[in-house]
Amino acid sequence: MPEQQEISLSILKKRWLKFKTLRRGYYSFILLIILYGLSWFLPLLINNRALVVKYNDEIYFPVISGYHAGSFFGQDVPGETIYRELKATWKAEDSDNWLIMPPYPYSPYEDITVQGNKMYEAPSKTHWLGTDNTGRDVFSRLCYAFNISISFALVLSTLNYILGVLIGGSMGYLGGKFDLIFQRIIEIWSSLPMLFVIIIISSIIRPSFFLLIFIYTIVNWIGMTYLMRAEFYREKSKDYVAAALSMGQSNFKVMFKHILPNSLVPIITYFPFSIVGGISALVGLDYLGFGMPPPTPSWGQMLDVGLQNISKYWMVMAPVGAQFITLIMVVFIGEAVREAFDPKVYSRLR
Amino acid sequence: MSKNTLVDVKNLSVHFPVHGGVFSKRVATVKAVDGISFSIDKKQIVGMVGESGCGKTTVGRAMINILKYISPEVEVGGSIEYHFDDGIVDFAKLKASEMRKYRSRVQMIFQDPYASLNPRMTVAQIISEPLQLHTKMNAKEQRDRVGWLLDKVGLQPEQARRFPHEFSGGQRQRIGIARALATNPDLIICDEPVSALDVSIQAQVINLMMDIQDEFDVSYLFIAHDLSVVEHISDKIAVMYLGDMAEYGDAQDVYHHPRHPYSKALLSAVPLPDPSRKNRKRIVLKGDVPTPLNKPSGCAFRTRCPIAQPSCAESKPEFKEHAKDHFVACPIVEKKALNL
Repeated sequence: MPEQQEISLSILKKRWLKFKTLRRGYYSFILLIILYGLSWFLPLLINNRALVVKYNDEIYFPVISGYHAGSFFGQDVPGETIYRELKATWKAEDSDNWLIMPPYPYSPYEDITVQGNKMYEAPSKTHWLGTDNTGRDVFSRLCYAFNISISFALVLSTLNYILGVLIGGSMGYLGGKFDLIFQRIIEIWSSLPMLFVIIIISSIIRPSFFLLIFIYTIVNWIGMTYLMRAEFYREKSKDYVAAALSMGQSNFKVMFKHILPNSLVPIITYFPFSIVGGISALVGLDYLGFGMPPPTPSWGQMLDVGLQNISKYWMVMAPVGAQFITLIMVVFIGEAVREAFDPKVYSRLR
Repeated sequence: MSKNTLVDVKNLSVHFPVHGGVFSKRVATVKAVDGISFSIDKKQIVGMVGESGCGKTTVGRAMINILKYISPEVEVGGSIEYHFDDGIVDFAKLKASEMRKYRSRVQMIFQDPYASLNPRMTVAQIISEPLQLHTKMNAKEQRDRVGWLLDKVGLQPEQARRFPHEFSGGQRQRIGIARALATNPDLIICDEPVSALDVSIQAQVINLMMDIQDEFDVSYLFIAHDLSVVEHISDKIAVMYLGDMAEYGDAQDVYHHPRHPYSKALLSAVPLPDPSRKNRKRIVLKGDVPTPLNKPSGCAFRTRCPIAQPSCAESKPEFKEHAKDHFVACPIVEKKALNL
């Protein structure tokens, strides 16, 4: 008897395999995942604090332990130790003390108040993308802003999705009065002029990462409800739902075990574009000055400063380039996801 | 009503309100099922036939009490009394919370084998779902039971890890049957289980269903629009027209000696592979089925009935026992029979 070796693949698994064959999207996906993963270790990679310091037979980890005054390591500077100079001094003295700096030894926050930093420094070997109007290193700010942007977009999209799926799904599944009432609420809610709300709120209270996400979420979940309502409404009338109900499955289980997995197409195909929206939203707000509080590295704020000093090309090009590359990678992913979910085999992306 | 009765449906009506206008006022009522009565004995197969849109499926869904989930505003009247071993339960009056423990007793096989299996779940997951809900089996027992059920319905237990889209229509319907059997129900409502299948596969599935009925001692309510299929499988036949019961009785009796003019017309349309009966009379009904939104007064069938009389418009015909266990809703036929 011939042995059956073929493994049955779920629809999602098939789509994942198809996604993998769409090179542009797949490689963008891998690259973005790696970059975002690395960006959580930025303090170890791009920082002005030393990773390890050996001073007088004691080992210190300034990256983790934080502030050490200059006098602590015998350096004659006001405030915190400047580890770059400390390293140079120790090397010149050929002393027993040593320290290891991160690969790129500049922090996004250190400005001209730190000895040795200059304003408007053009890109060079030390400052890869130059310095800005307050002497902060552009490259390091860019990298930290990447982490914040993507995190912001991810958290925002996830929250929107949770709310949108819950409310939209219940609307479609329960129907009747619940649907009617929530539709009217959504119509009223969606007519709120969102940007003005944010501008008003951030002029009253100082915005923070989570406050911004909160404000954006209370308006943004609406988009998803339309899609989910339609999906649940359609799936609900299929016989497998009747079958699940007739065997006594609870409404909640029917919604999330049976209907939701069959309504994933808009959720997944929409997600990358929702990320693009999230990143752009944060950039826009920061550019207008209503976003994250000032010292936070952000592409929008860098763009704003760059445009005020447009003759310093690196200050404009860096945030624009970073945004461009990030957004286009996300769009590539989105395009490939859409393609992978398309039942037609023909593809122009391969 | 005999001791052997499993379910006794009395005067069942299912009405769907229709709303319209600015304030969603109730403007009309779709009387999908309008007062029907019949009963199913233990280990009995009752076939239910009728044109599409006559309420057959609605009866089936009312009998497993899921109409309220599908359209919350539905109004169900009458009673659907189940005589289980541990007491009598009226599904028409049961609340959702009380309903759950009886769910395992009545199961359903659906018409469309492509829509009735969740495409995201493997066969094992689909069949073991009722087991998870109604039994305390552990994972291994469930796996064994799934394999055993698959074997019973003519599939290989190894196929349990596959997804529904890897099966043909007939195989999917077998999976549906296995799912319905999982909890050893007393009654299975078969909602046109073979209409979506090829004729050759139809026969296989029907034979399988009959074998299973023998083995599991289960009752069927077999809904179909193909009379020859119903005659082959059923002990009793119920003929429905536009939400009303036209005729109900012993299968052979109804099939060979139909009394209601609608049943006669329906039966005369069944193709017979018998050249000697080539010249039998075909009764062709005129017109379409009226909409259940606006049913004709009196007898719903009078607009198309070949023997209709003015009195038919006056009152709804009584559902009377014309012969032993043979109920017909037509006073004209009764009069004729008496005059003979």
